[in-house]
Amino acid sequence: MDKLVIAGQEFESRLFIGTGKYASNAIMAQAIEASGTQMVTVALRRVDIDNPNDNLLAAIDRKKYLLLPNTSGARDAAEAVRLARLARAATGIAWVKLEVTPDPYYLLPDGEETLKAAAVLVKEGFIVLPYINADPILAKKLQHVGTATVMPLAAPIGSNKGIKTRDAIEIIIEQATVPVVVDAGLGAPSHAAEAMEMGADATLVNTAIAAAANPIAMAMAFKLAVQAGRLAYQSGLAAQTRQACASSPLTGFLRNE
Amino acid sequence: MDKRLKINGQVRDFGDRLPATLSELLKLMQIDQATVVAEIDGQIIPRTAFGQTALKEDAVIELVRFVGGG
Repeated sequence: MDKLVIAGQEFESRLFIGTGKYASNAIMAQAIEASGTQMVTVALRRVDIDNPNDNLLAAIDRKKYLLLPNTSGARDAAEAVRLARLARAATGIAWVKLEVTPDPYYLLPDGEETLKAAAVLVKEGFIVLPYINADPILAKKLQHVGTATVMPLAAPIGSNKGIKTRDAIEIIIEQATVPVVVDAGLGAPSHAAEAMEMGADATLVNTAIAAAANPIAMAMAFKLAVQAGRLAYQSGLAAQTRQACASSPLTGFLRNE
Repeated sequence: MDKRLKINGQVRDFGDRLPATLSELLKLMQIDQATVVAEIDGQIIPRTAFGQTALKEDAVIELVRFVGGG
């Protein structure tokens, strides 16, 4: 498959994996491996003082996987910027998935605050991958301030509903000058394939894999779906028609007419 | 009066002597310092400076680390 390039860095895989909700670090590590991904997201939280030695990073080989810290939990631009700076101090690299979600019920991103935070972080040298609603105008503004990607949602985080924002994502893809990563709401490999067939550059999946009965096999299913979708996009999908268009010849029938 | 620090939102009492540095505090709390990021009174402390960072009474300390997330 052709390589994906984000901020000058090449990726063989077009599937990014979230690390939340796994039953154990061991299962997560195996699912990450099976997915073929090269980028995994993580969140920053306070150390649990009563259980201080739970160490997620021990389960992630940073030579194989780029760590993409998110700013989840941030309710406004200032909180997101603070989390991004802490994440940079932790990873030693400046990649960040910017998310600002003031409402915990639907976890929809606040575009205005996201744009504000993106402008600050880009100036500070961060490689910013913003999680956004499927808003083509906002995507353009983020590109303009210098984000490395735009990451429109398919449906609310963890909802597994598939691509409910198809028309708007198509416009974002058409207008994008940076890679478009469809993030959130992809609940089945067919959803990820659909995003890739539409011309998305990559997809980010967490819940659909982590909450599957067999996360390791599901990770592999997503890997294959993303590859199939990309290949289909590159192959040029045949046109849709309203009317039937026979695949077999309409001559030489065994009847007299 | 007892000397205190506010760590991750909770006030903790250290009797008459605070841990001298951030490194000492983490040791006392049995936290592997290679896995955490610290902020003291809003300032991020680089991990390499943990051993030289002195703690003052009533400092507000945040200790964070990576957890699973999407």
